[in-house]
Amino acid sequence: MWKWIQRQASPKVFYQTCTKLTPWFLLPFIVLGVVGLYWSLVVSPADYQQGDGYRIIYIHVPSAIMSMTVYGIMAIAGGIGLIWQIKMAEVVAKVSAPIGAAFTIIALATGAIWGKPMWGTWWVWDARLTSELILLFLYLAYMSLNNAFDNPRTAAKSSSILAIVGLVNLPIIHYSVKWWNTLHQGYTVGTGGLKDPDMGIALGIMFLVFVLLYAALVTIKAKTEVLTREQNSRWVKDLVTGERS
Amino acid sequence: MTMVEYFSFLPFGKYAFYVWSAYGIAFITVATLFIRARSNHKKTLVALSNKYSRQND
Repeated sequence: MWKWIQRQASPKVFYQTCTKLTPWFLLPFIVLGVVGLYWSLVVSPADYQQGDGYRIIYIHVPSAIMSMTVYGIMAIAGGIGLIWQIKMAEVVAKVSAPIGAAFTIIALATGAIWGKPMWGTWWVWDARLTSELILLFLYLAYMSLNNAFDNPRTAAKSSSILAIVGLVNLPIIHYSVKWWNTLHQGYTVGTGGLKDPDMGIALGIMFLVFVLLYAALVTIKAKTEVLTREQNSRWVKDLVTGERS
Repeated sequence: MTMVEYFSFLPFGKYAFYVWSAYGIAFITVATLFIRARSNHKKTLVALSNKYSRQND
């Protein structure tokens, strides 16, 4: 098992694995994306309280969950890079950051848009909203720190420590609606908040779409990062000259 | 006339502006991520190819 992991962690094998996996994530993402949007906007019925305004949930909840999940992956991958010196874990952590930041932006923007008709305001300094905004700042700080060093290993070490420290924000985001009396509603999933089965199906499909989106983007961006880091390797030279000839 | 009223001819009526702008922002963000990822990969390949060509000269 350890040998298999070590083999997968070699830049060349990692690059080849990413190349093979990209279409396996990309095609289901496109197909499920179309199905998910159809289920979200056409099949699922209007909410008895919020009318059609609640349909933002199908974008907002998956992006919010993924914003936290990707941060967790980024911190764990960074930790693996720190402890076991696995370069490809550093690559996964680095390429995950802009994707996670984008998910956080989607969650914050769609939340604000949803808040206006339901709460009468775009933004309040509520515990859930503020902790999610802090998550965005953590992503931005991670990316800035990672780009501040010329040496990718030094950059990875410093930014991984920041990512691990920032993990403390994840339980705060998750439990904020429980710990504090917030304007943001409590848990929707698993508490009977979704009254119609089609609402649950639509949300499930859209969550899967966001997972596939993350996986597809990581494989594409990781390939670029590996090429840049390993540009002095013989296999990269052969690959690039072969691809362009 | 407010934006909400202006876009109320779309599906979801009085919520159309909010629903479609939320989906629109998400779509633009995702499309930007894909376009940037693809173009960065192509740019890297071209830059490395040029570098190796210079080394061979």
